Amino acid sequence: MAGIAREPGFLMTTLEKGVNWARTNSMWPASFGLACCAIEMMGTGAAHNDLARFGMEVFRASPRQADLMIVAGRVSQKMAPVLRQVYDQMAEPKWVISMGACASTGGMFNNYALVQGVDEVVPVDMYVPGCPPGPQSLMHGILTLQQEIMAGNIRRSTGVL
Amino acid sequence: MPDTVSININGVAHDVEAGQRLIVAAESVGEVIPRFCHHDKLEPVGKCRMCLVEVEGPRGKVLMPSCTLLVSDGMVVDTESAVVKKAQEGVLEFLLINHPLDCPICDKGGECPLQDQTMQWGPGESRFVEAKRNFEKPIPVSDVVLLDRERCVLCDRCVRAADDIAGDPLLTFIDRGNHVQIQTFPNEPFSSYFSGNTVQLCPVGALTSVDYRFKARPWDLGHTRSVSFVDTVHSSVDAQTSRGKLVRVYGIENDRVNEGWLSDKDRFIFSAVHSPDRVTAPLVRGDDGFEEASWSDAMALVASRLGGYLGGEVGAIGGANNTNEEAYTLAKFMRSVVGSSNLDAQLGDGLNPHLAATVTPRATIDDLDRAATIFVWGPDLKETLPVLYLRVRKAVRNGATLVVASPAGTGLDAIAAHVVRYRAGSGSDVLRKFASGDKGYEGAREALDAGPVVGLVGRSSLAEDPMMAEAAAGVVRSLPDSKLLTLLTRANIYGALDMGLAPNLLPGRVSTADDEHAEMLEDAWGHLPRGTGRSTTQMLEDLASGAMRAMVLVGADPVRDCPDPGLAQRALEAAEFVVAFDAFVTDSSIHADVILPAAVWGEVSGTATNLEGRVQEVNASVRPAGQARSLNAALDDIAHLMGVDLRAAKVADVTREIAAVAPAYAGITPDHLTFESDGDGVIVPLEGEQPLKFIPVEVSVPVVTSRLTLHFPDALYDDGVWNRNAPTIAGLARQAEARLHPRDASMLPVHEGDIVSIEERFVMPVTLDDTVPVGSIVVPRNVVGTKGLTASTSVKVEAVEGGA
Amino acid sequence: MTWISDLLGPFKGFAVTMRQVGKPRVTRKYPQEKRVKPPRFHGRHVLNRYEDGMEKCIGCELCAGVCPANCIYVRGADNPPDNPVSPGERYGFVYEINMLRCIYCAMCVEACPTEAITMTHLFEMSVTSKEDAIYTKDELLVDPDGTPNHPQAESPLIDVKELRLGDGWMRATSSAGRAEYEGVVAWTPQARNPDLPVEAGQSAESTGGDDG
Repeated sequence: MAGIAREPGFLMTTLEKGVNWARTNSMWPASFGLACCAIEMMGTGAAHNDLARFGMEVFRASPRQADLMIVAGRVSQKMAPVLRQVYDQMAEPKWVISMGACASTGGMFNNYALVQGVDEVVPVDMYVPGCPPGPQSLMHGILTLQQEIMAGNIRRSTGVL
Repeated sequence: MPDTVSININGVAHDVEAGQRLIVAAESVGEVIPRFCHHDKLEPVGKCRMCLVEVEGPRGKVLMPSCTLLVSDGMVVDTESAVVKKAQEGVLEFLLINHPLDCPICDKGGECPLQDQTMQWGPGESRFVEAKRNFEKPIPVSDVVLLDRERCVLCDRCVRAADDIAGDPLLTFIDRGNHVQIQTFPNEPFSSYFSGNTVQLCPVGALTSVDYRFKARPWDLGHTRSVSFVDTVHSSVDAQTSRGKLVRVYGIENDRVNEGWLSDKDRFIFSAVHSPDRVTAPLVRGDDGFEEASWSDAMALVASRLGGYLGGEVGAIGGANNTNEEAYTLAKFMRSVVGSSNLDAQLGDGLNPHLAATVTPRATIDDLDRAATIFVWGPDLKETLPVLYLRVRKAVRNGATLVVASPAGTGLDAIAAHVVRYRAGSGSDVLRKFASGDKGYEGAREALDAGPVVGLVGRSSLAEDPMMAEAAAGVVRSLPDSKLLTLLTRANIYGALDMGLAPNLLPGRVSTADDEHAEMLEDAWGHLPRGTGRSTTQMLEDLASGAMRAMVLVGADPVRDCPDPGLAQRALEAAEFVVAFDAFVTDSSIHADVILPAAVWGEVSGTATNLEGRVQEVNASVRPAGQARSLNAALDDIAHLMGVDLRAAKVADVTREIAAVAPAYAGITPDHLTFESDGDGVIVPLEGEQPLKFIPVEVSVPVVTSRLTLHFPDALYDDGVWNRNAPTIAGLARQAEARLHPRDASMLPVHEGDIVSIEERFVMPVTLDDTVPVGSIVVPRNVVGTKGLTASTSVKVEAVEGGA
Repeated sequence: MTWISDLLGPFKGFAVTMRQVGKPRVTRKYPQEKRVKPPRFHGRHVLNRYEDGMEKCIGCELCAGVCPANCIYVRGADNPPDNPVSPGERYGFVYEINMLRCIYCAMCVEACPTEAITMTHLFEMSVTSKEDAIYTKDELLVDPDGTPNHPQAESPLIDVKELRLGDGWMRATSSAGRAEYEGVVAWTPQARNPDLPVEAGQSAESTGGDDG
């Protein structure tokens, strides 16, 4: 499969476009609200911004039903294994958005208690700057992620399409 | 117990030491009075008026400057009254009339006394709306110092530091009233060896250093206390880093050593640490020149080659630019792993190791303050040990009598009560006359009889017989109430000698002849060759003749620093295998088969011992450049490859081992240095007596007679590899010149500025100097144009036709 | 009687939905339409210029010093006298902000003595790679006409004209951020007043510093 993905023929590109279209428009986030960013994430799902427009209003409580993990908030060292387990339990294909300064780099909490960037624990596809990023910032991240997926720029390293 | 007086500050009675200035006494009891011109180490002038306080007198309370006022019994002082507050606000508003508010641009911003005191004591708002003073800025007053006159608050600190402390009256105020400004004398740059101190002293950003300009800000600087490795005084320094690079070195007030002062070389040489020419990876000689190799390959090569020789066929030169721990590891490696006693940290340019390391009775630097007479027989202190020069100068200012003996004019002559001038090579003749108080030397002899005497003895130049210093030390020793300091100059040479990097010394100031200690050391090390090894000169001769086969160079450059550079060159070319631990490819390490990149000052931690035997902590402030490693870590790995565990991978372990096996260093553990000493270091031995005590006696030294004898003194800014690689001071390196007495010049015949050739190879201009005795010539060593000149006692000088 | 209310339950639920039909919708159709930000919204930073095109930043590192997240890296350098980058002696030679570490607190804006750094309404900075989130001086510095640069300016999601909407523009052009001074330059970073004659005294040539 990896070979096909690298040298796509006509049929497979068309199929892949279709698959990507389907994936981008039904991306269900796993709720991983850890701190203040989570409030903005909830706001993004609510009426004023309405993530349902992009087919992703269903924040799933179970990682097994989710495609996208939005890490919203600072990740403490103690939370890191939990976060990794949730990520491992998600079914492929799956994507991770690191929302806000703390999740992306540790932000102003450059100390022993916090993971200095969630990409130390899970692979991150999209970083959304902000402290916290407003709903529109987060949506910009989501839309950019969708664009990237549609363009085929993001594939899972496991090789599973 | 000094006398105390009781004074009353702000309604609280305090007992303070008598004879102090009020501002100092108040600070000692916790009442800080703001100040600009006052500095503990400078004479009071009362210029800035910031320290005004109310003092009760016969006419009621009056405002008086506390920096010029001596405390007296029953003095009643108010530092916080409304009148004082108004005075302080007034002074600050007045100072800020002309001080520009360009703090965001100014390098002092963030650590500026004017900023801080305006915040704490200032009026908060200025009523001044007129234009401020306007100057051309900045003007370079020397190669290392810039002056922004509009920022100056005329506190006189720099002028006093240059005049009183350094003895270089090169800065002055001109004009009057509103037009006062500071300046140098026309066409006379502020070319003092101590100009950097004024940058540190300046309470505003008027004086800034060239190399720190706009480099970093005070709040992002990391601070590490360490000691300077430029000379053996080991001045305490604050090595300041920003983003993993050294950006500035400031002096720390260690009253037993440097009192906060530094020479410009101490202050500005650090940039060589980040030189692009540093060796950053192991270099192994290939078919065409050096090729980079991995550490493991290079070390395996070194281990297999060194293991293939008999112990006595290998020698090690150097280790004086390393910490005590590195030096100890080198001594242990060479003696117990390689099995060789051929070790020397001096390059034939020093003294008898017994004299240098174990002279008894040994003086301390602050003994100079208590001495009635100071006797200097040795190198020009201003050129070789500038901070010691400041200490001698201070002692003389406070009343000590200074007697200087040297073969040419030195920086100390101006303050010396008696100058004994001798023709280079004929020192022992003069010393004998002088010791017996012959005609012409009565005054000096009389001064020496008035104790206590501190004798500073060393080798005035490489061309002088090393026994001369011993002879002079013997004369000093014969005086009542006398103490001695020997004057070696290279970085941590005293630590290296104490760690056994000498052919006749074992670690801890033990003679190799001391069997009892040798046995103890053998138990600790597993193996120890007995007997005395070869000195550097002997090693080089044996290498050249083939009696020795391999050489370990540790930060040493014998081709530049040996008395006979030609011999060093031949020896290194003849050697079968040479491994160099060095930070640069030098004139010597270029002959090596393997160069291992060495971590240098600023990158290594440990301890170091200065010329009075004071052990201080050396702390790393940046990571080693590239793949450079400390000597002890590298030697530990090489020893492992040779099947021996040196236990030297960790510096603290080595320090503890030294404390255990080196008698003079008993008790000098990392914990002791950190917690028991007050941060200024401790003199070894801590308690008890060291096993070896060298008591100098008067010896006779042959007198050299020839047409022109050579005086070959060191210069502060030389053409050494460190000076060359420090951009700030590289341009200050001295140029070769031949100083001659006018009478000798007229016989050649040459005039001022003419070109002469020395030994038919070295050409340089002539300077006429009547401080040079007739029949002698003065050529600075290791400066631009004298590389390779042999330090023989006499030289052949010829005028070059058409050279002028 | 509970079965009747049970039976009506679903209809009550649908009634809630039906009541909303016909009411105006509150959902903003981002990205087609954007919410109008409050004037003091803290978006990403820009480095401003004076009217004559000179950079306002003098490289004083106060912003870096005050930054609680340590996300700003500034290095100053000597201003080349023949082609000055900013007025005065010093200019910002390196200026980088890690937008991912930044917490948009605007302490840098408050600390800046020359109003060189201000915040805009730009908020769309999502990146797929961490390195792209480090904005260098090229991206932070506005064009001479005041238009900010953006690393993804051609993206349909970006509207660079937003800069002028907020108080960032006002702050950039007025002293102390007061609206009534908009466009009035009150601070000059020049330590020396170019209109005044230079006081007599030593000059760089007569110190002999260069040949000493």
